[in-house]
Amino acid sequence: MSKFKEVFVVDDDKVFHFIIKKLFTKNNIEINPSFYLNGLEAIETIKEKIDQGTSLPDLILLDINMPIMDGWQFLDEFRQTRKTKPDEKTVIYLVSSSDSQSDINKAKEYQDQIKDYFFKPMTLEDLQKIF
Amino acid sequence: METYEYSDLKYLEEKNNFFKKLLFQSPDLIFQFNLPKKGKLHFSFLSKSVITHFELAPHEKSNDAITVLKSRILPEDYLGFLQSIHESRLHREWIHEFRAVLPIRGLRWYKATATVCSNEDGSVDFYGKVTDITAYKEQELRLKLSEQRFLFALEASSEGIWDLDVKTQKVFYSSQSMKMLEFEAKDTIDSIDMWDNRVHPSDKEQYLVDIQLHINNVTPYYENAQRVLTQSGDYKWILSRGKIIERDARNRPLRIIGTHTDISVQKEKEKVLQQTVEIVGAQNSRLLNFAHIVSHNLRSHSGNIKMLLDIISEESDEEIIRESFTHLRSSSHALTQTIDHLKELVEIQTELIHKRENLNINTFLGKTLDILAEEINKNKVVIKNNICSEQTITFNPAYLESILLNFTSNAIKYSHPERRPVISYSMVVKNSQKILKIRDNGLGINLERHGKKIFGMYKTFHKNQDSRGIGLFITKNQIEAMGGTVAVQSQVGKGTTFKIYFNE
Repeated sequence: MSKFKEVFVVDDDKVFHFIIKKLFTKNNIEINPSFYLNGLEAIETIKEKIDQGTSLPDLILLDINMPIMDGWQFLDEFRQTRKTKPDEKTVIYLVSSSDSQSDINKAKEYQDQIKDYFFKPMTLEDLQKIF
Repeated sequence: METYEYSDLKYLEEKNNFFKKLLFQSPDLIFQFNLPKKGKLHFSFLSKSVITHFELAPHEKSNDAITVLKSRILPEDYLGFLQSIHESRLHREWIHEFRAVLPIRGLRWYKATATVCSNEDGSVDFYGKVTDITAYKEQELRLKLSEQRFLFALEASSEGIWDLDVKTQKVFYSSQSMKMLEFEAKDTIDSIDMWDNRVHPSDKEQYLVDIQLHINNVTPYYENAQRVLTQSGDYKWILSRGKIIERDARNRPLRIIGTHTDISVQKEKEKVLQQTVEIVGAQNSRLLNFAHIVSHNLRSHSGNIKMLLDIISEESDEEIIRESFTHLRSSSHALTQTIDHLKELVEIQTELIHKRENLNINTFLGKTLDILAEEINKNKVVIKNNICSEQTITFNPAYLESILLNFTSNAIKYSHPERRPVISYSMVVKNSQKILKIRDNGLGINLERHGKKIFGMYKTFHKNQDSRGIGLFITKNQIEAMGGTVAVQSQVGKGTTFKIYFNE
């Protein structure tokens, strides 16, 4: 059961990778997400996909605070990168432990790109909103 | 010898009588007296106004001149009065100031002016007028008093005075003004440029604007704080104030008077205060930032722990349970580490006196490289140590260790994947301040994007177990706690240089 074909999880916390995988299994979400430790790893894969002519991921769960390339930088990069694929839809959710007002405000600046902002730990309700 | 007809004599006499009457009635205090070669001075003529003005009673009018003079002239001035008359008998003019005491109106000032004429018989005639100059004298006295008060106030205060003659562009600079510029403390008249050319280039525009505003009547007085170059080549902060006291018919200023006040001490205090505000502000924003980091990390680890416990309680697969426990252990470890960081930071902030010792940098760098030996070997890092083996600094040993460890481990962690990492250390002394430079050829940091938060958010959220997490944040706090500062230069893809400015 999933309306998404390909899911990216971009988060530098390996424990979170394990938890999200179990969360999917437990809730019968039959999906095998690809995991990336920072924005740069994810954007490079996306660029390769564009080069190879394959389709973009249709769902991205994106952390904010990551080394090398954080969530905001990823969104900036992705906005540019996906210009060549205007017809494809990628749904992006922010999933972060940050409850700082500056991050919440910044999320509003990116609301054309992101669908919602979830605070960790993710709940069953959050998952139901996504799937 | 001239001869006159009777009718001419008659005419002259009538004319003489007419003038006598006229003079007698004149409101001016007109007199004529005669000083014989031998004998006493006597009045030949006194206008009616003299009699009334000097309050001469009818019986006094018949008294001899000396008695009259003695009865009216202030005793202290009496001898001087007679002496000046005697001295003037050989001159053409007699001018004398004296005081008289009148029965009703009391003490008054007078000025007598007379033409002196010598006669054939050796006597001398004085004729002229007396002017009551009491009002003028009082004015003069008041002016003198206020001038003295002003001078005294000037000497007592440290203010300088300037007085500009707009037409000539000449300025009177008081001794205090000259002293401020470190010239000899002497009242001086010089051109306006003497001062203007000394005003700091950055302050000149506002200075001219402020004067113009007053000239245009926009401001009730002129006021400008300016840096002025002194004789020793240093700038002094001087508050210059002034007011136009005279304008011409077309309302253009003719004269501006003002003061100079040395406000260097206030400005210095202002600067220190401003710096303190900046430090406290920066500290505050870093602490707030830190509160977010702590909140974020605590939430992140405790959230993981909760989720892992849920998995363990619901899972039956032994393998998954075992894996969950491994993650649980690392999450718990990370949580402990976050709390340790918090403790470390609170310690830096609350320590009132930080221990200082004279430390050999190379000894500490050696220790750091030993601790990181495994990482250095694994990543084939090239270490270039350009610090002189004798180089020491006065610093806190624990902080120095932490600083070197943080910058070095960061340089290794963010090394460029396509080249062999090189980290170089050097120390320079600039304006007697020691600066430690740590340069790497790593990934670099986009300072335009992260410049403000490099010592705060950026690189501080690593959840990797080997990461010191809030390392740079703690490092900056340790440097600042010891009175130093840290700066960063970086280019994405090329490398990063950290400069630590020590304050011994």
